[in-house]
Formats: sequence, C-alpha cells, structure tokens
Amino acid sequence: MAASVDPLVVGRVIGEVLDMFVPSVNMSVYYGPKHVTNGCDIKPSMAINPPKITLTGHTDELYTLIMIDPDAPSPSEPSMREWIHWMVLDIPGGTNPTRGKEILPYMGPRPPVGIHRYIMVLFQQKAPLGMVEQPPTRANFNTRFFAGHFDLGLPVATIYFNSQKEPANRRR
Amino acid sequence: MAMAMAMSTTADTASRWSLKSLSCALPSLNSSITCSSLRFSTASRRQHGLTLTRSRPTNIQSFTNTVSLGFSDCNSFGNNFSIIDNGSRIYAMRHGRRVPKLNRPPDQRRALLRGLTTQLLKHGRIKTTRARASAVRKYVDKMITLAKDGSLHKRRQALGFIYEKQIVHALFAEVPDRYGERNGGYTRIIRTLPRRGDNAPMAFIELV
Repeated sequence: MAASVDPLVVGRVIGEVLDMFVPSVNMSVYYGPKHVTNGCDIKPSMAINPPKITLTGHTDELYTLIMIDPDAPSPSEPSMREWIHWMVLDIPGGTNPTRGKEILPYMGPRPPVGIHRYIMVLFQQKAPLGMVEQPPTRANFNTRFFAGHFDLGLPVATIYFNSQKEPANRRR
Repeated sequence: MAMAMAMSTTADTASRWSLKSLSCALPSLNSSITCSSLRFSTASRRQHGLTLTRSRPTNIQSFTNTVSLGFSDCNSFGNNFSIIDNGSRIYAMRHGRRVPKLNRPPDQRRALLRGLTTQLLKHGRIKTTRARASAVRKYVDKMITLAKDGSLHKRRQALGFIYEKQIVHALFAEVPDRYGERNGGYTRIIRTLPRRGDNAPMAFIELV
C-alpha cells in the first residue's frame, strides 16, 4: 500500500515535475462534457481544443497556467521532458484562461508512444508579468526553473490526466 | 506490490495512515458501490472515493462510512471479503503460492509474460490487470538486469525472451545510463479504476 494516498504523489507528478505543495485554489477542467480528475483518461481527439477551466479566487489576483507533458516522447525514454503545451499568464482569479495573456498557443496532446501524463499547473503571480518571451522550443521545458525564474513559488493547483494514441480502428 | 509502492515513496512522504484510508483502500464490495455513485467527484486513480481535492474530504468519508455500515452485515471479517461468483476457492492468505498462474496453461502464460515485458519495454507505461502487472515485474527486472551486465551471452539470453530485437538493442544501449545506480525495483505499479466490461481491477505499470 502506498504510504501516501495523494494521487499526485502516486502518479509521480509531485516528485518528477513539481514539489510538494498545499493546494489553495480550486481549478476545474472540462474537456467538452468530461470533467478532468487526477489520472483519468482523455482521448486526444477530445482534447484538440483548449479545455474550459474555471478558477476560484479573487479577481485582483493573477495566476499563471502551464500545461506540460513530462513523458515526451515516450515514458520509457523521456528525452524531451518536459514538453510544454500551453502557457497563459496574468489570468485574473475567478475567471478562465481566455482572459489571460496566452504566451504559447494551446497544442493538444499527441502522444506518439505509450501512455503520457499531461499536467496542468497553476501558479499565483505576485505581480503582473507583462510580456514574457516565448520559450525557443517547446521541448525540454523545466517547470521548477520557470517558477524560480519568475518567482512564482509553489503551485496553487494541479491536475493531471493520461492520454494515449488512439488506435486507428475503433476498438469495441 | 509493496516493493513497487516502496520505490515510489521518496523522502517527501510522511506516511499519513488512518483507519479510514486503510479500510477504503482495500478491495471490497462497498467501495465499488460508493465508487459508482461518487464517480463524478472521484479525483484519484486509486479506485476509491477517499482521495479527493482537499476541499471536501469529510463529506465523502462520512458517506462512505454510512454506506459500508449498510452493507457490512452480508460479509463478515471487517472489510477484507471478496465475492467470487465462479466457484473458485479464495482464501485470505497466500501461503506457499510462488507462481502466479494467470488462469492459463504454462505455454500461454510464458507467452503472455513475454509479450507484456516486450510492450512495457517498448512503451514505457502500459495498462493491464493488476495480477498481470504484478506478475510481469519479475521478468522486466530480469531483463533490465541482463542489460546491466551487457555481455554477449546476456544479450543473446535477452533476445531469446523479448519478441523484438530492436527493443533489446535499445535496452542494452540505454540501461547503464538510466539504471546504473538503482539496485532493483525498476518498475512501479499504480492502481487505477476497474475495467468497464468485466470490472477487472486495472493498474498502470511503468518503468521507474
């Protein structure tokens, strides 16, 4: 039996990508009708468009959202860990990321090999960040370095889901 | 299973044991009922309605407790019962059982395990039933140990077990970097929600 019951620890999100934190904001993510829970399965065909995300929190607080894949290109050889899919800054609390500044446009999950985890991390900003330059490449992103560089501290909310390449024929 | 779980706990886990977490984590009839009704709010892949976002732990725990009280009188021994409808004998203990038979004759069993290790080494993370995942650990660890040794004889032994030779060559190339310091325990098993068609308990098994 795992010594910790927290799904983020069991799924090694905390540990490989993030550090232990205390969630202070409720973030709910919806891909169409499907509500995303930690570790659930989302098909890439459902995730082509950015999800609907609702946050709690005051409107005068700003948040940063990033979506990363730590298992790129394959979970057994994550040479491109982490691959960043989406980066939105300056999201006012209590709203959704459409009101923020999208630094990196959303790219849907396209796992070539294996079952990948896709993690949505929310940080609280201490000050408006304004224009941040795009990372030169989506590969080899480092969340800890990013948080340290912009002084974002520990995350305030995290959710992750799994996704794998859909077989060409519809199974069952 | 304990070994794989132990590998996943590093220095950051203060073990948060509680009786409720133990009783809800055991496979039981009650939790499948609570699981189905609480599925909309289940935030964990560990199959039972206990672990959620921290905003509402108390309501769900009390709900689980009331449901389990209602159903507990049809099964004794607390919570470690399992309803087996197919007439096979089930005991609570595992005394003397060394080989997982996986409901297959020996030749098929060997082929199944070879296929599962091949796929696990190819994809890095696969989703199968729990029995198969815990049975395949041994063979994956064996393959990685062969690759750590690296000699020609070991390579040929690995080629005799794994179905695709590209995977063997890739394995022998990258294992010294990846698992050089790690002694054993090269896989991790994470339990997930049961399969829809037959309610088989599923698990992810992944290379650490």
